[in-house]
Amino acid sequence: MNLDWSVVAAHRGVLAAATGMTILLTVATMAIAVPCGIVVASVRLYAWAPLRAMATAYVELFRNLPLILLVYWAFYVLPIATDVGLSPFATGLAALALNVTAYNAETFRAGIGSIRRGQLEAAMALGMSRTQAVRRIVLPQAVRRILPVLASTWVSLFKDTSLVSVIAVPELAYVAMQIRAQTFRVLEMLTAMAAIYWLLGYPQAKLVDWIQRRYAVTE
Amino acid sequence: MQVDLSVITDHWRFLAYGIGVTIALAAASGAASLALGFLVALARLFGPRWAKPAVVLYIDSMRAVPVLVVLVWTFFALPILTGLTMQPFVAALIGLTVHLAAYAAEIYRAGIESVRRGQTRASLALGMSRPQILRRIVLPQALVRMLPAFGSLLSITIKDTAIASVIAVPEIMRQSETLAGQSFQPIEVYSFAMLVYFLILFPVTRGVDRIYRRVAHLGRS
Amino acid sequence: MSRRAKESGATIIRYRGVVKRYGAFEALSGVDLDVHAGEVVCLIGPSGSGKSTLLRCTNALETIDGGAIEFEGAELPRDERALREVRRRMGMVFQSFELFPHLTALHNVAEGPRTVLQARRAEAENRARAMLAKVGLSDKATNYPAALSGGQQQRVAIARALAMEPDVMLFDEPTSALDPETIGEVLSVMKALADEGMTMVVVTHEMTFARRVGDWVAVFDAGRIVEQGPPRQIFDAPTTERTRDFLSHLGWHGETL
Repeated sequence: MNLDWSVVAAHRGVLAAATGMTILLTVATMAIAVPCGIVVASVRLYAWAPLRAMATAYVELFRNLPLILLVYWAFYVLPIATDVGLSPFATGLAALALNVTAYNAETFRAGIGSIRRGQLEAAMALGMSRTQAVRRIVLPQAVRRILPVLASTWVSLFKDTSLVSVIAVPELAYVAMQIRAQTFRVLEMLTAMAAIYWLLGYPQAKLVDWIQRRYAVTE
Repeated sequence: MQVDLSVITDHWRFLAYGIGVTIALAAASGAASLALGFLVALARLFGPRWAKPAVVLYIDSMRAVPVLVVLVWTFFALPILTGLTMQPFVAALIGLTVHLAAYAAEIYRAGIESVRRGQTRASLALGMSRPQILRRIVLPQALVRMLPAFGSLLSITIKDTAIASVIAVPEIMRQSETLAGQSFQPIEVYSFAMLVYFLILFPVTRGVDRIYRRVAHLGRS
Repeated sequence: MSRRAKESGATIIRYRGVVKRYGAFEALSGVDLDVHAGEVVCLIGPSGSGKSTLLRCTNALETIDGGAIEFEGAELPRDERALREVRRRMGMVFQSFELFPHLTALHNVAEGPRTVLQARRAEAENRARAMLAKVGLSDKATNYPAALSGGQQQRVAIARALAMEPDVMLFDEPTSALDPETIGEVLSVMKALADEGMTMVVVTHEMTFARRVGDWVAVFDAGRIVEQGPPRQIFDAPTTERTRDFLSHLGWHGETL
């Protein structure tokens, strides 16, 4: 077994760019999935019954499918459905966003639903409108419950970006495995890939722990 | 858009084999991770002093690294280190087990710690030994509380088996890829795969909900 | 003070044949009651007899199914915006306090004036400080509800309602969720309010309070008022069997000093 770790350093530019792509995918997906999640959650909480049913169906569907399958399916179906040739990046982003929106919708819905009715009533008893009461009293409390879960979803998303490697999006997993294929330095490249994910992911996991401790809800 | 389902019916045996592999992999890695996770949790809660930071490092590492990376490393890199060749299924089994056991360990720990201290005190007052208390009083209550979290983990396990397609394990995802490539009918094939996964996963989540509701009162103290 | 002496005051709230149903269950089956300016009206009776329901219908947290509720001469409006106007003139104190946990005591009390009355921040906070002083909690202004005892939280809740300068205060079992030691501090604040001439409708199990501070007592049973009158009548010489039963079940053997 002879190992040549220099191959990692030799490709550090490409690896850095790939890491940037991973981060970009994570940020872009969340940027879409948070507002969309709020919309879907609102529909599930407040809209008229048929719309509520559709929103619930969407959430249940995307929470019960493997993301990697969604990625492949999006790659083959979206071009036909939208008549647009989407780049692998856009396709991957779409699949990720659809998936994370569903999880976020559930998080927002449960967070808002967990605030006691009495809080809304106390606010309305003061003479606030329902909108004012929700905005000033219910939402701030709901945010405290939602934030830890959202942070946890973020870390999962960060790891899930590795799945879009299967449709050749140049993020970290894809690029690392390409270099492995080209240089035949299997152990070195795969270990480097794992190490980079670890270096980025470990602090995120610790941050999630901190957020969960800080926002722990005691009734 | 033409939909031609004959590709599914003509190759149902091929696809059914994939379903079998998915279920086998999910069941095996699920069971193994439950067992390994339990040992890890015990080591953390009751083991020697050095065990705690080691376990925490292991668990946090599994939270940081994607399943794909773990599986790929286990299949391609580990054999180089150990000199042993590995079947894809075995590699997937090992990779998934190691990854999931970390989450299982956390569930065990949270469940055990959530049982009120008063229960332990009352048992000690009766004269029970600590292993007895764990086995007869704490664990039964803790297990009920852990049920929803384990249900969720089972759901994740089944979904993660799809990632094993990347290391050529012939489960549903891989079989679908192969069939879609050969038949040039990806939409029908992948849609069928989605249906299959949904039909497997949806009852799992609903079933866990229902069982939990039935036994929840056993866990409340 | 007897009712006769206060009867010259205007009628603030008038309940006429109020009916409220939840599905097939009738929680209120025709309630008639008047509340005059400056009066303390206590609603007593067994659990589930409709007292709290009547209170919640008063500020339209629940809508009635029959009869009418008049506030300051006008029937309660149906329009949500007009209802909000009405709610501003009523203060409500809940059994579970319902302080806003993400705000300090000061900001809890200032929240109504700021958001509903559109007061400036400084003005709202000044008013809040004054109200907190009134209930004896000036030193807790920067504390969050979680750091306050039950009695303190309820007093902040009273201050929060008072900050809106309501014409009537509605109390829904204000001391039922409190430890015995802290009940006294809340009842003292309520008595002080009554002495100042605040119109109050109080759903309570504290019979001594009703006897001493109430001007008028209504006994509820199964959605109706079975007897109403001055405390002296209700507690010392009840005229109906139901009232006598209820009081004896509570172990009321006359006022304990």
